[in-house]
Amino acid sequence: MVNPRRTALLLGTALVAGGLAVASGPAMAQKKGGSLVYANVSAVGTMDPHVANAVADLETIHHVHEGLVAMGEDYAAKPMLASKVDISPDGRTFTFSLRKGVKFSNGKEMTAADVLASYERYKKVSPNAPALADVAAMETPDPYTFIIKLNKPNSLFVEVMKTPTYSFSILPAEQKDKPARDGDLVGTGPYMVAEWARDSHLVLKRNDNYVADDSAKGPDGYAGKKTAYLDSIRYNSVPEANTRIAAIQSGGADFIATIPGDLAKRLKGNKDVTVMSVIPFCQATFIQHAKNGISTNHYVRQAVAALVDAEEMMEAAGQVWDRNPSLMFKPSAYHTTVGAPWYDQKSVEKAKALLKQGNYAGEKIVLETNNNYAYMRDSSQVLAEQMKKAGMNVELKMVDWTTNAGDMARGTGGWNITITGLCSGPLLGPQQWRLSLAYAQNPDDPVVTDGYAKMFATTDFAERKRIWDGIEKYFLEEGYLVKVADIADLRGMNGKFANIKPYYMQRFWDVWVK
Amino acid sequence: MTEPPAELLAPRRRFQVLRRLARHRSFRIGFVIVVLLTLAAIFAPLITSFDPTAMRARIRFRPPQAAYWFGTDNFGRDVFTRCLYGARLSLSIGLGVALLSGLVGTIAGIVSAQYRRLDAVIMRLMDGLMAFPAIILAIGLAAAMGPNIGSLIVALSVAYIPRTARIVRASALVVRELEFVDAARVSGASSLRIIWKHLLPNCMGPLLVQLTFDFAYAILAEAALSFLGIGPPPPAPSWGNIIAEGRDQAVESWWIMFFPGLAISLATLGMNLLGDGLRDVLDPRLKVET
Amino acid sequence: MKLLRRLAYRLGQAVPVILVVAVLAFFLMHLLPGDPAVIIAGTEAGPEAVERIRHQLGLDRSIPEQLIVWLWHLAQGDFGTSIIHNESVLSALADRMPVTLSLTLVSFAITIPVGILFGVAAAKFRNTWIDSAVMFLALVGVSVPGFWIAILSVILFSVTLGWLPASGYVPLSQGVLPWLLALLQPAAMLALFQIGFLARMARSATLDVLDQDYIRTARAKGVSEWQTIAKHAFRNTLIPVVTATGIILSLLMGGSVVIEQVFALPGVGRLIVQAILTRDYPMVQGTLLALAFMFVAINLMVDIVYTWVDPRVRYD
Repeated sequence: MVNPRRTALLLGTALVAGGLAVASGPAMAQKKGGSLVYANVSAVGTMDPHVANAVADLETIHHVHEGLVAMGEDYAAKPMLASKVDISPDGRTFTFSLRKGVKFSNGKEMTAADVLASYERYKKVSPNAPALADVAAMETPDPYTFIIKLNKPNSLFVEVMKTPTYSFSILPAEQKDKPARDGDLVGTGPYMVAEWARDSHLVLKRNDNYVADDSAKGPDGYAGKKTAYLDSIRYNSVPEANTRIAAIQSGGADFIATIPGDLAKRLKGNKDVTVMSVIPFCQATFIQHAKNGISTNHYVRQAVAALVDAEEMMEAAGQVWDRNPSLMFKPSAYHTTVGAPWYDQKSVEKAKALLKQGNYAGEKIVLETNNNYAYMRDSSQVLAEQMKKAGMNVELKMVDWTTNAGDMARGTGGWNITITGLCSGPLLGPQQWRLSLAYAQNPDDPVVTDGYAKMFATTDFAERKRIWDGIEKYFLEEGYLVKVADIADLRGMNGKFANIKPYYMQRFWDVWVK
Repeated sequence: MTEPPAELLAPRRRFQVLRRLARHRSFRIGFVIVVLLTLAAIFAPLITSFDPTAMRARIRFRPPQAAYWFGTDNFGRDVFTRCLYGARLSLSIGLGVALLSGLVGTIAGIVSAQYRRLDAVIMRLMDGLMAFPAIILAIGLAAAMGPNIGSLIVALSVAYIPRTARIVRASALVVRELEFVDAARVSGASSLRIIWKHLLPNCMGPLLVQLTFDFAYAILAEAALSFLGIGPPPPAPSWGNIIAEGRDQAVESWWIMFFPGLAISLATLGMNLLGDGLRDVLDPRLKVET
Repeated sequence: MKLLRRLAYRLGQAVPVILVVAVLAFFLMHLLPGDPAVIIAGTEAGPEAVERIRHQLGLDRSIPEQLIVWLWHLAQGDFGTSIIHNESVLSALADRMPVTLSLTLVSFAITIPVGILFGVAAAKFRNTWIDSAVMFLALVGVSVPGFWIAILSVILFSVTLGWLPASGYVPLSQGVLPWLLALLQPAAMLALFQIGFLARMARSATLDVLDQDYIRTARAKGVSEWQTIAKHAFRNTLIPVVTATGIILSLLMGGSVVIEQVFALPGVGRLIVQAILTRDYPMVQGTLLALAFMFVAINLMVDIVYTWVDPRVRYD
């Protein structure tokens, strides 16, 4: 049952950057043309929006593909291909009204049939398919209406659908049976793939069939009215930081990602290059294994948490960073200070006392980290030193990222402590956090399962916030997660382009040549 | 092959070999460099009073100065101290690779020279290994066996065994055909005795030369693997991982990556000079082939 | 005819080598810890998603079973499909090979003249300061770590002086000059080691030749020494140099792994390293195998050129 009064219940306040872009318009001539070269850390691995989860992939994908909803400038869900969504009072039926006249880059109009086919493909190929596990039925009563019915209420379902990773993008119905990670997918976005040399570079060109959302005033995060001014955007893969910096200094690139903090100094005084800090970008967080050896001991986990010194770790890693005790970023509506007592304690004495309380007898503690991300490597080295000072028998296990990621996701490899960077959960809310909470290897913990069931069942934000506060406090107090700091991603650009703005994942629509 | 290798002559020539080595300019320079670096590695705790892994946040990124000769790194660790201790790890890796690849390579080479039926099998296996670029083989093996020094030594040794085996086999084959070895065989000497008395001693020259070069390559390879993130794991310093960790500060805090790079160059230079000297004296016909 | 038969024999001999490589590569890859399914699914994916991908990729089968499947495909000429890029191994190689070949070629073009010139000059001015200086330089060339000097070079030539691009590859189709400019710095860094190697070889080869009777005769007849070197010594020096070419090419291949990483060149070396790091089994196995074929081919070609340069050498 659709209740028209609950129309457009999409959360958040809109119009943050949208207005700005238009306001700055008349002063500067916005013109079509030009191409931008972006030197990124890694190459685009896949262009399949239903599967992609690496930032380098997502940055290009969201120029090519769009979903029914998208995250706005404030990271809340905003309408994109849907003009509105109606939610039934029982929180189980979602009716999306599609924008009319939207075209794919191949010129065909997008209709409900395409949406249905895309969701069916998603269920088949996406690693995030469990997100659709509670879907009872999907219906297309007319070409511009798409209805999803759930088995049980989920008040966060629209928020789930805004996710930029494993994006719920809409593809033409003919592509329904394309296998996962197929390279040749058509989208409704402002750009399309022109050339792709895997592991080397990818070139996007303007999609001349693009139909912008004229109901919006301007771009709003990944939603809103997007205008493609640039003819093309070239994404190069340049893994070495020194080489990326050299590329922007020598004119080989117009925009570069992920400048190590210490290297940003090199660009100071260079009047042609500006460094832009995107913060919060990710959060550095230690994870303790709930089910492995000595880490099952509450006091030992607490002792490790007591040792963390945010400043020492971040400065050693050369990170631009920010203090934040919460598992949510500061702009998030879910930001909380319930974890403050366990944040940045830097006390060897307290750790020693806790170890005594927990009858720690020199059992080995494995700290697994990787060599590919400097902040993870360096923070872990600092923690290992601190643990030695507190009398802990720590073994620093340095592996490559693939091994580390696999061990972290599955709890294998014998680690007690590991570290990772969490980005989308703290930005997008509890629905996005759920999978990352499982790194502590206690996904069946009733605090998590009951908490999420209750959160999904209530439409009251204050109640949801209260439940999340409880979950966050539990993880920090138990030391399953030890928050270190929010970290920035530093990006560099030359002065050739106007209107490049910081955002979690970089956008180049509504960017033009000066 | 008109003139028998040095060792075939009377034992008293051995003394002459040493004298010629001592007079050889490259060998002398190389010898001094290698001995000094080895002493520095062994006596590191006496030379420096710092701990190579102790972090001191207050003295981060200090440029070279009286207190910290090579400056300090992003953890406030003394780079000079880390280079000294790094010498222990890097030189051990070089030595380990030279010994292990020398041992296995010699066995493989001698066996295939003496037991001709095994020759084809062993040499095909060696060809197979040679078909991988050494560095790629080492990357794969090092990643497979986990990040520790032992696996690094094994990985690099496997990569260098084929060359050693070929050199030993070639020298052994030459000796094997000489009249006096034939005579020994005819008079009923066992295979083992022929190997021990005749083949082995006469492979020593070329083998020793090859091993000094392998030592040098191993030090360079350790650095390359560290650069790719598969070298000896921090925090224990090796020359390669000090550079790898410091390369992001290559301009602002150049000293972190500059000095260990210099140390690697010096050590490799020393080993190469040593090898050149050995080659000139022990086996003048041997070309700079590796 | 004899040559052809010999060639066929050598090619036949290469088959077991390549098989050894194939099986070694297979086991090497499957020894690695870490799971490509986790990389594909992303660390945020649940265990059932990872399991499903493992099943799709056939990674849930036993290792001997996977080996047989792989060898069976191989026998049909199918080198496999990258599980990370979803692209056939051969087309990935075809994309990257021009980069590595260009790099190797330019580097080789720098190495050969410079290396030989250094070697010949050192031999000509034997035991003078020129000899010492040249040989010291050559020794330094084989002693510095490649990526270390490459990073220092980027800082000097690209950042401080701004003379050369720091990264990237420009295909030959976009013009010879941009192509050469993009490759000059990486190729020069790569050449450093080989120049040192070749110069030392060329020196001893030239010395050997200068001692030969006919050169002494030529000298006695009043022919200028440079002319002698050019005419006789150079030609004879070529023989060991050609032998070394195979070694140099294989060293270049190995060296390019690190240089491609520093200069962000999308070549074969980087492809393999990336594939190893992401556990892209078919990609690593396929590229190593293809490289092995290449090395065998190079060594064969070297042998053929060898017989041309030095007619005294016959296949036995």
